[in-house]
Amino acid sequence: MKLLEVDDLTVQYGPAVAVDNVSLELEEGERVALIGPNGAGKSSLINAICGMVKPARGRIRVRGRELTGASPGAIVRMGITQVPEGRQVFPTLPVEANLLLGAYGRDFRNELISATIRYLRRKGEIADRLERVYTLLPKLHELRERPAGQTSGGEQQMVAIGRALMAEPRLLAVDELSLGLAPMVVHGLSEFLRRLNEEEGVALLLVEQNASLAFALCSRAYVLETGRVVLSGTSEELENNENVRNAYLGSGLEAADA
Amino acid sequence: MTKFLQLAVVGISTGSAFALVGIGMVLIFRTTNIVNFAQGAFAVIGGLVMVGLVDDMHGIVAGTLAVLLVALIGALIGVIAVGFRTRTTPLASLIITLGLALLASSLNLLAFGDRPHTYPTIFERAWNIGGVLVQPQFVIVVGVTVLAALLLTLGLQRTIAGQALVACADSRRAAELVGINVRAVAAIAFAVSAALSALGWVLLTPIDPVNYDSDVRIAINGFAAAAFGGLVSIRLALVGGLALGLAEQLIVGYAPGQARQYELAAALVILLVLIGWRSRHEAVE
Amino acid sequence: MTTRLLPLGRLGATLAAGAFAIWLAYQLEPGSRALFTLMGLYAIVAIGLSLLMGFAGQISLGQGAFYGLGAYTAGILVVGLDPDERLVNPEAGISPLLALAVAPVLTAAVAAVVGVALLRLRGHYLAFATLALHLILLAVLFAQARFTGGQDPGLAVIKGLDIFGWEVTGILGATPRLTALVWGVVLVTLLLALNLVRSRAGRALQAIATSERTAAAAGINVSAYKLRLFVLSAGLAGLAGGLYVFLLQFLSPDAFPIFLSIQFVVMVAVGGLGSVYGAVFGAVAITWLEDELRELGTRPELLGFELPDQAPQVFSVGVFALILIVVILFFPRGLLPALVAGARRLQRRATAAR
Repeated sequence: MKLLEVDDLTVQYGPAVAVDNVSLELEEGERVALIGPNGAGKSSLINAICGMVKPARGRIRVRGRELTGASPGAIVRMGITQVPEGRQVFPTLPVEANLLLGAYGRDFRNELISATIRYLRRKGEIADRLERVYTLLPKLHELRERPAGQTSGGEQQMVAIGRALMAEPRLLAVDELSLGLAPMVVHGLSEFLRRLNEEEGVALLLVEQNASLAFALCSRAYVLETGRVVLSGTSEELENNENVRNAYLGSGLEAADA
Repeated sequence: MTKFLQLAVVGISTGSAFALVGIGMVLIFRTTNIVNFAQGAFAVIGGLVMVGLVDDMHGIVAGTLAVLLVALIGALIGVIAVGFRTRTTPLASLIITLGLALLASSLNLLAFGDRPHTYPTIFERAWNIGGVLVQPQFVIVVGVTVLAALLLTLGLQRTIAGQALVACADSRRAAELVGINVRAVAAIAFAVSAALSALGWVLLTPIDPVNYDSDVRIAINGFAAAAFGGLVSIRLALVGGLALGLAEQLIVGYAPGQARQYELAAALVILLVLIGWRSRHEAVE
Repeated sequence: MTTRLLPLGRLGATLAAGAFAIWLAYQLEPGSRALFTLMGLYAIVAIGLSLLMGFAGQISLGQGAFYGLGAYTAGILVVGLDPDERLVNPEAGISPLLALAVAPVLTAAVAAVVGVALLRLRGHYLAFATLALHLILLAVLFAQARFTGGQDPGLAVIKGLDIFGWEVTGILGATPRLTALVWGVVLVTLLLALNLVRSRAGRALQAIATSERTAAAAGINVSAYKLRLFVLSAGLAGLAGGLYVFLLQFLSPDAFPIFLSIQFVVMVAVGGLGSVYGAVFGAVAITWLEDELRELGTRPELLGFELPDQAPQVFSVGVFALILIVVILFFPRGLLPALVAGARRLQRRATAAR
């Protein structure tokens, strides 16, 4: 049973079709990338998978369970969390609060008071989880009291990743990891994600404009253009594909975009 | 001197009620980014329902029922005002709360008619402290206000639920992404907010009778109190409300003739001055 | 690349519609004509507010105040500033035409002063501040009753308006000529507004409406444009108010309740923020609706239910509130644009089916 199966998914905003009959799949512990130009529908696809937008057609299954059109909370409970484009931390809250809310939100369901009770019951478990995240990302422990809005871009990315990890996901969907960050920072984060995957078995679905980063980190990739999957295969195959090289790998300039 | 103290006592009590309204507004703003125009309506409905019930049952029971009813109405209004994530901007939500306030005032008119409503105080006697008449209700409303301000401030900062509330305003999208149901959170914020405003007037109606259209005046006073804290500080909303109530009573007490009009005008001028002052401190949107 | 002329087709249609409105002014019965005039006055206000809300993204809950301010400015100037002299000297005061010219200028000046401080703030501050302005105006009108006439006896303005010899209204009030004049002003305002939207300033406004930050980065002076729009919308409201004086030839604060400011917002919301034609549509539709609702409320019973005394008020305010909520929630870009889009979709389906 695959971790994620997407069948013939279509996402529309009014008359505009952002995702057109896309199918993809992911096994437990895999690292898969979605590459393609700006506006190809990558973010819309991720958002549909994570429950932020309802697909017009198609199916999404997680570990065999039908989850098409489910709420973001339900998706988180099934083990998929998102590190969104632009980080989107909670700027006025301290870093530690940001992380804890990642755990809080998982069991939120429909109502605040019962959610709080559930959270308080799991306090010990959550404290352990927090320790684990601090071990994985020691910088966050250092910054734990600082309002998340007052940290650098790279640090915010860590906060977003940490927050996503607090929900103990089986799949981490990362939307535009490299956007607005210095190459060294991106490299560090990328290495972290690789280790996370290898040591903890957390699968990775990476949406990236930076194709060489995607190929370096992931074993497989799908190429999305104007909402459709035009190519898919292992990173090796795609890297050696003529069209892909011309369009996405340029002549060493590809790292300059994003 | 007695006159001044008497006015001060009344002023601080009405000021507390304003502060409750203002604190409610801050709570809603800090959790949903919405400025709630219907905040005055919560107070009015609370007062009117209290007047309706207090003849038939013990004051405390009537008051509790009134507050609970308004809390429910508040939750409903909150869910409507929050609207849809993609289509409803905070400014649009403000207009929606304006519409809801109008709707509420029409329904109040229909249900209660066009005349000021009040009820005789539920406590048998007032305390006489050196010539100044102090109703027990005054002490209760001030006490409740300070307590509420304290609990809310701590709650928002230190508890996970409070932080979840703040998170929804910090980034609605991210809050939904981690699984928080933003509409449910808004409902709670509005419900608590509504309860606070209603409580203020449930206690205060004997000295400040309510009519179906009192909500505009109350909302403006509440907003002035909240604006004092930049819409985000509960502590400053408390201080602002008390100061406003005090200022209004003193102006009314010492100004000649045409008292009622000056009371509102005083609130308005204070509001505009506050807004003008805030313009130098707030970031432009 | 500034195109200052409308596409000929649209220009023609607009002029034709304007001509029709002016012709209609002479055909209507006095009762309907008064309502029609009011629609025109409100259209003028709505156009200004629609530009403000659509391009500056600011909500003004004080257009009713600017309208009232314009009315009282014109009215008081016409009858004379000294309340005692008004009673004895019918010649006191200045010419109606001059008063009509001063009204929008004064209103615009007030808006300029107030706007400088307020427009820098986030929208909700302006919303409350303009509401506060309206309340302050009402308080002043009541408090200075001697000067303004207050509620009782009010301000009677018994002078006819004439424009360099062309008599618009006599001593007896509203004439078809006044209605025609009002709709003529609506037409001119409409054309000027459309022109503005198409000009270079208009493009700056579009940029601001899309994203203030981007516009500012591109070098556009965002606050200056917002202020100008605010002042313009106030001036238009003041002009409409000035014209209103000659419709009833009587002023009382009751004619300018808070609800009026809210009605203007509803008109713009219905017509679509930033849409000039929409503003006129909204003004006509909402004014008509309000009249119908109030009339419905004055009947002793409806559908078998006995109606209480407050029915007219509840009907107009309550139903309005519902319309406002529904429109903003489900048609945030305006009811008219949604209707137009829906009509186009039906048309496309019809042609596709063939």
